[in-house]
Amino acid sequence: MTLAIEATGSRRSRWSSITAWDLCRWAMAICVTIVVVFPIWWMVNVVFTEPGTPVSINPRLYPTSFAAGWDKVAMIMRETGYLHAYYMSMAYALLTIAGVLLLGSMAAFEFALFEFPGKRPLFGLIMLSLMVPTAVTIIPTYLLTAELGWINTMQGLVAPGLASAFGLFLLVEFMKGLPKEMIEAARLDGARHFQIYWHVVLPLTRNAMVTLAILTFMKTWGNFIWPLIVLSNAEKYTVSQVVGLFNAPFSHQTVDVVMTANLLAAIPPLLFFLIFQRKIVEGIAMSGSKG
Amino acid sequence: MAQLDLTGVAKKFGVVDVLRDINLNIRSGEFVVFVGPSGCGKSTLLRIISGLEEVTAGDLHLDGERLNDVDPARRGTAMVFQSYALYPHMTAAENMGFSLRMAGAKKAEIREKVAKAAAILQLEKHMDRRPGQLSGGQKQRVAIGRAIVREPKVFLFDEPLSNLDAELRVQMRAELIDLHRRLKATMIYVTHDQVEAMTLADRMVVLNGGVIQQCGRPLDLYDDPDNRFVAGFIGSPKMNFLSATVKEVRPDAIVLDRIGGSSTSLVMPFEGFDAAEGPIEIGVRPEHVRLAPSDERRDGDVEVDVTLVEELGDVTYVHATMPAGERIIARSDNARHRAETANRIRLDPSRFLLFGAAGQRIRPAGAA
Amino acid sequence: MTMNLRHLPHYLMVLPFVALFAAFFLYPIVSGFYYSFHDWNAVTEPHFVGLANYERIVGSRDFSRAMWNLVTYVVITVPLGIAVAFGLALLVDSFSGFWSNLFRSVFFLPVVLPAFLAATIWRWMYAPNFGLVNMVLGWFGYPSVNFLNDTDTMLFSLIAVDIWVSAGFNMVILLAGLKNIPVDLYEAARLDGASRLQQVRHVTIPMLAPVLFFVMTYGLISALQVFDVPWLLTGSSFTNYGGRQNALLFPVMDMMGRAFGSVRFGQASAYGFILTALIIVVTAGMFGLRAMRSKP
Ligand SMILES: Nc1ncnc2c1ncn2[C@@H]1O[C@H](COP(=O)(O)OP(=O)(O)O)[C@@H](O)[C@H]1O
Ligand SMILES: [Mg+2]
Repeated sequence: MTLAIEATGSRRSRWSSITAWDLCRWAMAICVTIVVVFPIWWMVNVVFTEPGTPVSINPRLYPTSFAAGWDKVAMIMRETGYLHAYYMSMAYALLTIAGVLLLGSMAAFEFALFEFPGKRPLFGLIMLSLMVPTAVTIIPTYLLTAELGWINTMQGLVAPGLASAFGLFLLVEFMKGLPKEMIEAARLDGARHFQIYWHVVLPLTRNAMVTLAILTFMKTWGNFIWPLIVLSNAEKYTVSQVVGLFNAPFSHQTVDVVMTANLLAAIPPLLFFLIFQRKIVEGIAMSGSKG
Repeated sequence: MAQLDLTGVAKKFGVVDVLRDINLNIRSGEFVVFVGPSGCGKSTLLRIISGLEEVTAGDLHLDGERLNDVDPARRGTAMVFQSYALYPHMTAAENMGFSLRMAGAKKAEIREKVAKAAAILQLEKHMDRRPGQLSGGQKQRVAIGRAIVREPKVFLFDEPLSNLDAELRVQMRAELIDLHRRLKATMIYVTHDQVEAMTLADRMVVLNGGVIQQCGRPLDLYDDPDNRFVAGFIGSPKMNFLSATVKEVRPDAIVLDRIGGSSTSLVMPFEGFDAAEGPIEIGVRPEHVRLAPSDERRDGDVEVDVTLVEELGDVTYVHATMPAGERIIARSDNARHRAETANRIRLDPSRFLLFGAAGQRIRPAGAA
Repeated sequence: MTMNLRHLPHYLMVLPFVALFAAFFLYPIVSGFYYSFHDWNAVTEPHFVGLANYERIVGSRDFSRAMWNLVTYVVITVPLGIAVAFGLALLVDSFSGFWSNLFRSVFFLPVVLPAFLAATIWRWMYAPNFGLVNMVLGWFGYPSVNFLNDTDTMLFSLIAVDIWVSAGFNMVILLAGLKNIPVDLYEAARLDGASRLQQVRHVTIPMLAPVLFFVMTYGLISALQVFDVPWLLTGSSFTNYGGRQNALLFPVMDMMGRAFGSVRFGQASAYGFILTALIIVVTAGMFGLRAMRSKP
């Protein structure tokens, strides 16, 4: 009896507590969600539609044919250099990640935890480079790469991006938070300098390293301008360039094939985001609040 | 054997003198406590012994071997940090075995030594846990275990109990004393807590401003401090310090006048007072200041204003101000004084200590 | 000597990073500075031309057009983008728990997409007749607009994509800043009788000032270097870029064109330094503004 009264009472108060503000924010959130998601959803729909269906009949609001989409994927893989471009982009991303993490963590270890002559000016100089726009270095870096004979090579693609000042900054900030006593304890335990790095600091930096790896992946996978100028040979193209080819003004591809190419390029970062979304969001928030 | 000798040790950070001319001989098996206020250089001294800091001047010898240039890991010392400094990504067992692993010991040997240390500390059940899954006391024990595993000649502790709550601290103190007895190892322990120092030490080294103030057994320091700093630092509540003038010097006594700014004079037994001494100060511990019974008046009783009464159960401390405004604490057992605002105190001149203007102790002739 | 030896491990550990940093950052800057005073096509010997490269760029019609486009673009896109991001942050912050996290992730989605993809998707969305945007306009009876080929709409089409791409990024940073504002402050303001809007005005914005400053400065620096999105929206190549009547020509595109289209590396290097100078002036201006505001 009392229970029933309480239940209806609480329900009424719950309904009456919905204010205009509540309605308004939900409406806004849903509108923004549509604006954000629809272009991506539309891309998916275009891919999974029978080719040739007029827009007026199927305005691509939902996918209609899974098989048709699959055929397009198979066709692209078979008839274009897409698979190789995928391999190039993956290699580019993974090698960059490995290099950025290794070089960055080694340098951050020293900059964050030890004192040595010249440390401050050196670190200051590297941090200053964060302020320098890519625009000013990209042409001379290209010229250097060309001088080295690295045009159209993987090392030419990867090497210039390895000394990431942003990565160093992120790792130094993180490592500064490690207790100094832990490093001293390791020293007393007989760990050599490199062993302290390898056995103590590196495992403790894992979280920051994962964040940096993901952000680096996003950046390299999405890098458009550097592959565009370093890889001029169509056989070496990365995904971003191949997508560019499909989209070129005089490419003879139909929209559904183009969107299939786009979708394939979008899958790795979208997957990454689904798996690591918290880390990505936190990493960006952290770099923002520290900057 | 583990005889540690420090001769003329000094340390500067930049231009700041943190330690000056430290001379100390620590005998094998001794439990020595460095005590002093925060920032006096205790940790620095300990870190010099461990090798984490280098000396600016002076020498360290362990069993006659010069330590100055020996690598911290090979000195035969092991350190327990205040923050435990356990590696969060390793289990308790891995933490304790890390030094052996770094030294290239075999797996079986590591396992055996770690198990032995775990048994000593009754940690067997927790060896597979990470530091994050251990309580404060357990972490502390793992940290000690990490030191034990190395079988050092000298254990170094830097305020290892400050992160524990009061009850656990008392319990861990008892365990440390027990551990010292069983391992018979030399231990050097740093704390800013004089009560902890008194409980643990065979010998206490009181530091202030980077200088050793006095060194000796706890009660010797308590009863017979070398200077005003040691006298004030050891004991709780603190020793009372009162101004006074010497009115008359007799062969075996002196007459003290204007004690604490009052009109009181007292005769203090004291042999061979040097009349050339400048201004002096009296030190007297609260237990040697009593409240005079209300029905009995004597010469030398001082009228005071009571400002605070601490009734702790076993003892009662009465805080009061002397007529000229100097503060004094008197001890009174098993009595209630809460409502009182005025009282008379009675000082025991035979327990007075005299200090000179520079804070140095003035001892009777013939005393050590 | 003993000093050096003791520090050797430190230097060895930083060496790989520092070596690559020197090779691919310091050296390019220095050599770029050198090239900027030379006429060079990467084949013949560079020959010294003094300030001619700089003069030629500044005097060119493409440069004025690119600068004009840039100024219009930056002046609209940066404040508008931050306003949108701030709105989104407040919106997400007004939810709690699951919904807050969900909306945050959803709004962030476009950031995850590589910019080159966002640009190509939008190029199709903007397509005349069958593009989605025109389809929606069609439902309301509007005639089809050729968004990316009509000089009246091109810049705004770019700005819309740009905000779609970057709002989520700024939102996440602002959101982290919002979360750092102590709840007490809002409660105190409420007790003082502040409405929801007044709370935003008098608590949120002042407390968020440092984060807003970061977002704004960072946004400005990126906007001044805008490249990918307009390049792809206009279907540019090194020989033909900028879109109809150069309505979407921006400095970095102009620079890339001079380097890889007309193979004038000296001029392109000089272009980089002009841009850098511009960015430094703008950034310094931002810091100066902040210093002035925080003084009284
Ligand atoms: N690495 C250092 N650099 C400069 N000054 C230091 C350093 N370590 C300690 N000090 C200074 O030396 C003094 C003694 O420090 P410490 O030995 O830690 O004191 P305690 O452990 O007795 O509290 C303090 O004044 C402290 O500021
Ligand atoms: Mg200390």
